[in-house]
Amino acid sequence: MSQEIAVVGSPEFTTGFRLAGVRRFENVPDDEKDDRLDDAATAVLEDEGVGIVVMHDDDLEHLSRNVRQEVETSVEPVVVTIGSGTGGGGLREQIKRAIGIDLMDEDEQE
Amino acid sequence: MAKDVKPTRKNLMEIEDRIELSERGHGTLEKKRDGLIMEFMDILDKAQDVRGDLAQDYQNAQKKINMARAMEGDVAVRGAAAALQEHPEITTESKNIMGVVVPQIESSRVSKSLDQRGYGIMGTSARIDEAAEAYEDLLESIILAAEVETAMKKMLREIETTKRRVNALEFKLLPDLYEGQEYIEQKLEEQEREETFRLKKIKEKKEQAEKEEREAEEAEAEDEDEVAPDDESGDTAEPDMEQSTAGGVPGGD
Repeated sequence: MSQEIAVVGSPEFTTGFRLAGVRRFENVPDDEKDDRLDDAATAVLEDEGVGIVVMHDDDLEHLSRNVRQEVETSVEPVVVTIGSGTGGGGLREQIKRAIGIDLMDEDEQE
Repeated sequence: MAKDVKPTRKNLMEIEDRIELSERGHGTLEKKRDGLIMEFMDILDKAQDVRGDLAQDYQNAQKKINMARAMEGDVAVRGAAAALQEHPEITTESKNIMGVVVPQIESSRVSKSLDQRGYGIMGTSARIDEAAEAYEDLLESIILAAEVETAMKKMLREIETTKRRVNALEFKLLPDLYEGQEYIEQKLEEQEREETFRLKKIKEKKEQAEKEEREAEEAEAEDEDEVAPDDESGDTAEPDMEQSTAGGVPGGD
């Protein structure tokens, strides 16, 4: 089954992806993120036609606790966050919990 | 738990069977957990590389689009973005790593040539083309990252579940079963000891009773012995007398 890529974020963030052909996008201006980002993220997560959701790392801060957890652990669709470079904020915690060691931290120190 | 089981041989055998099964399961699950962690380490290395590329691609793409915005204006960039006709699509296939189904994402129509993009060549500048190209590269990296990160998330979940199962067996189920086994064994031993003791008591009582009976008999016999000589002299005298009288009578006649 073919799926689409979706982008959620500020209009500046989504424009570039639209330029690459992404047509499923949720524009949430910066000053409305606290109110609308939860709904936008939930909408794309619930869309079965979406396989990958792209979000900015900093936008995760605007999500409510439940939606954020859903975003961090969702597998279908998978959420890829880009921006500050650390990547997979929830993933690091998950690794720590599952393996027992902070593997990402160790790798960064090397 | 130990107090809930009935101390019977049947329960003991059942518990022993469960212990055997649990120990075998514990060993297998431990191996699975270690195998999963090893596979995860491989994927983690790959993920670190992909993440690095992704960050670099994003920076590059941002630089390009900022340049396009500055030169062409935001409206022109948005206009070009809205004109796109071809849309990237992804199809997922699954791969099995130690029982964990991880996706393999195939993408199509991500990188496009200039004439495939859909916005007019005349109306836009090379800056926009460059930005579009950079974002296409970024999308490719994102798709790769999505594949690796989904695999990581799924494997982490499986590792966590397996770890929890191993710990539950090691620290809860098996100790409980061992406790139950020990409890039943001790109870059965105690029952055996009680049984032996009871049998001994019964035997003792029986012997005592027999002894008393024997003693009573002996005493009776002794009593009889003591009485017997008088009786015998009386008894024997009479026949003699009878005999004598009997003999005496014919003899007398």
